[in-house]
Amino acid sequence: MQAPEYDAIVIGSGISGGWAAKELCEKGLKTLVLERGRSVTHIKDYPTANLAPWELPHRVAMPRKLANENPLISKAAGYGEDTAHFFVKDADHPYVQEKPFDWIRGYQVGGKSLIWGRTCQRWSKYEFTAPERQGYGMSWPIGYDDVAPWYSHVEQFVGVCGNADHLEAMPDGEFLPPFDFNCAERHLHDSLEAHYHDRHVVQGRWAHLTKPNPIHLQQGRGTCQARNLCMRGCPYGGYFASNSSTLPWAAKTGNLTIRPDSVVHSIVYDDATGRAAGVRVIDAHTHAVTEYRARVVFVNASALNTNLILLNSTSPRFPHGLGNDNGILGRYVCHHNYRTGASGRLEGMFEDQYFYGRNPSECILVNFRNVGKQTMDFVGGYTTFTGGYRERGIPTDDHVGGAYKDAQSKPGPWGLYMYMQGETIPKYANHVRLHDTNKDQWGIPLLVTSVGYDDNDERMIRDWRTQAEEMLTVAGCTNVASHDNHQAPGLDIHEMGGCRMGRDPKTSMLNEWNQLHACKNVFVTDGACMTSTGNQSPSILYMALTARAVDRAVEEMKRRNL
Amino acid sequence: MTAMNRREALKAGGALVGAAVFASTGVLAACGRGEHAREDETRPASPGVLSREDQALMEEIADTLLPDTPSSPGAKAAGAGAAIQLLLTDCYEPAAQQRVVRGLGGFRETCRARKGAAFASLPRPEREQLLRDVDGEARKAPADTHWFPLAREVAERAYWSSQTGMTKALRYVQTPGHFTGCMPLAKGQPAWG
Repeated sequence: MQAPEYDAIVIGSGISGGWAAKELCEKGLKTLVLERGRSVTHIKDYPTANLAPWELPHRVAMPRKLANENPLISKAAGYGEDTAHFFVKDADHPYVQEKPFDWIRGYQVGGKSLIWGRTCQRWSKYEFTAPERQGYGMSWPIGYDDVAPWYSHVEQFVGVCGNADHLEAMPDGEFLPPFDFNCAERHLHDSLEAHYHDRHVVQGRWAHLTKPNPIHLQQGRGTCQARNLCMRGCPYGGYFASNSSTLPWAAKTGNLTIRPDSVVHSIVYDDATGRAAGVRVIDAHTHAVTEYRARVVFVNASALNTNLILLNSTSPRFPHGLGNDNGILGRYVCHHNYRTGASGRLEGMFEDQYFYGRNPSECILVNFRNVGKQTMDFVGGYTTFTGGYRERGIPTDDHVGGAYKDAQSKPGPWGLYMYMQGETIPKYANHVRLHDTNKDQWGIPLLVTSVGYDDNDERMIRDWRTQAEEMLTVAGCTNVASHDNHQAPGLDIHEMGGCRMGRDPKTSMLNEWNQLHACKNVFVTDGACMTSTGNQSPSILYMALTARAVDRAVEEMKRRNL
Repeated sequence: MTAMNRREALKAGGALVGAAVFASTGVLAACGRGEHAREDETRPASPGVLSREDQALMEEIADTLLPDTPSSPGAKAAGAGAAIQLLLTDCYEPAAQQRVVRGLGGFRETCRARKGAAFASLPRPEREQLLRDVDGEARKAPADTHWFPLAREVAERAYWSSQTGMTKALRYVQTPGHFTGCMPLAKGQPAWG
């Protein structure tokens, strides 16, 4: 048998792929990271990072040409002429929407870790068990206690700011100092504490170095400068991205090879060994096909692309996709419900108070629905993000001339906003699959998305709007209004599932170590592995699960089980 | 990336590049003021939708809405005309562009009919009154039908996003260094840009 070229292959260099690379390289494995997009080097390839608004071609306004040529991707949060180079172009990467689904992608070294939301809350112990106990899904094969040490492991390296708030619905982590509340946020916190027993507004738990530790300085990263220009790439390394952190760390070991412009076609299965032998890659530019071999493969291509690659990895043993003996690969795709938001004005309050700098984080109103037991007419919970802001401009009756201009240059009224991040139910019907005939420019079948909302989502939105309006009113807001933007699934950029973890190979794809039940040297540790969505932001969980799975993989390799 | 390329190109080509663009598009009416020369270099990717006369009129409107005051320079000093041309040409739909162009034509006639003179030649109080009148008219019109709210929006965007607007009327700190959540607002302190 031919010796493997690498000990490990990681497909994808985003937030979880970067972690797989770091952990594998640190443990001494020769690791190949395959990235379908271009190379992006920290600092060097952040062309807009230091531009003032007036130095951008359209001063941060969206050029019509950019929006018209990219009607889909230009809807993404944070997309603009200052960040467009970190998002795909619509025309380059088609897919088929059987139901409306906005698939937001960032194809480059670092993936979407350059443009992520940076929110890092831990799941509570309830979220791992609620789907089964409350009858809307399947339990995870692991619980909070299995993940907790790995949360700590990754938080310490990433650098997560936040306050230890001792809340059951959102456990504390390894925190750097939090960003301040502004006076409107402090007021919201105090108002809700006084009026409710279960409504806790806490300072954002965000992947920002408010006060770097030695481990962060060793990565070459420094203090967050409160610029809030994160999605252009941070020349200070103030927030966590693969490019500033895990990938250079992995490279320092001497064990890392990164191949950009490498589109993965499939994982190659070896019938003789009953294992994956390696990965088939198409060069993005020349279309040359190469096969790389390794003892283990980590699939971190981003949730839906991981499904696509596995579905396209067919062999006589697995005619319906790698590991897909039960026919559920691509099924139970789910997302977070981001459809609703609310706002109100704090008329006449705190007019003599202001702030300095731009807070890159938001406050979190911790989930208070169905925590530990079913109490609502919907299942699942919701996290609410909230913040206080100060408008520009003192309102005037006259809108012409010097007095108007001078009033417009002063701070205006304070306001509060909220928006929901709601759990959705994993359903068999919500799925992705390969298109029968249509292929992309590399000859790979297009992905078909068939993912929609359900009545539970509608009931959750109704409750959230009622509660948000009530809480803003309790805080003394006027002009309180909520809305439902009816955005399609996917625009949340929290797509998950399709290759879920579980105890039973009949009903799940992955075991408790993120290994394919039916092909043990393939690990899936990105969003595809999610058994349910919980109500917390998922990225830090992907990172923790990745580090945990690498640890297991290396132990199994030492035992010669892999 | 694009911004850098644009500036690099301007540096490399120097006056020649500027002259070529001037000749081909008729844009640049606001150029040549030393202090704001860099801001005035902003030009749309395609030929501007405003004629040279319309751009000049838009800049006069912007400067009447947002004039020089003791606390900060106004729209004309900020080179708003070129930025209005840029934003309207590159960032607005053709229907919106045409509404503004038609509106400016009508407004020019209104000025002549009511004052017997061009808008720019009128004393400031009369210019202000004309804008208050058209503003009031627009507020009574059905939503998204009148030209003036669009013209105002583009004019205000051009000013408040300019280096002058961001740093002299407002206060822009590119790299704050830290965040302080709550502190007293000093008397007369401008808003952050």
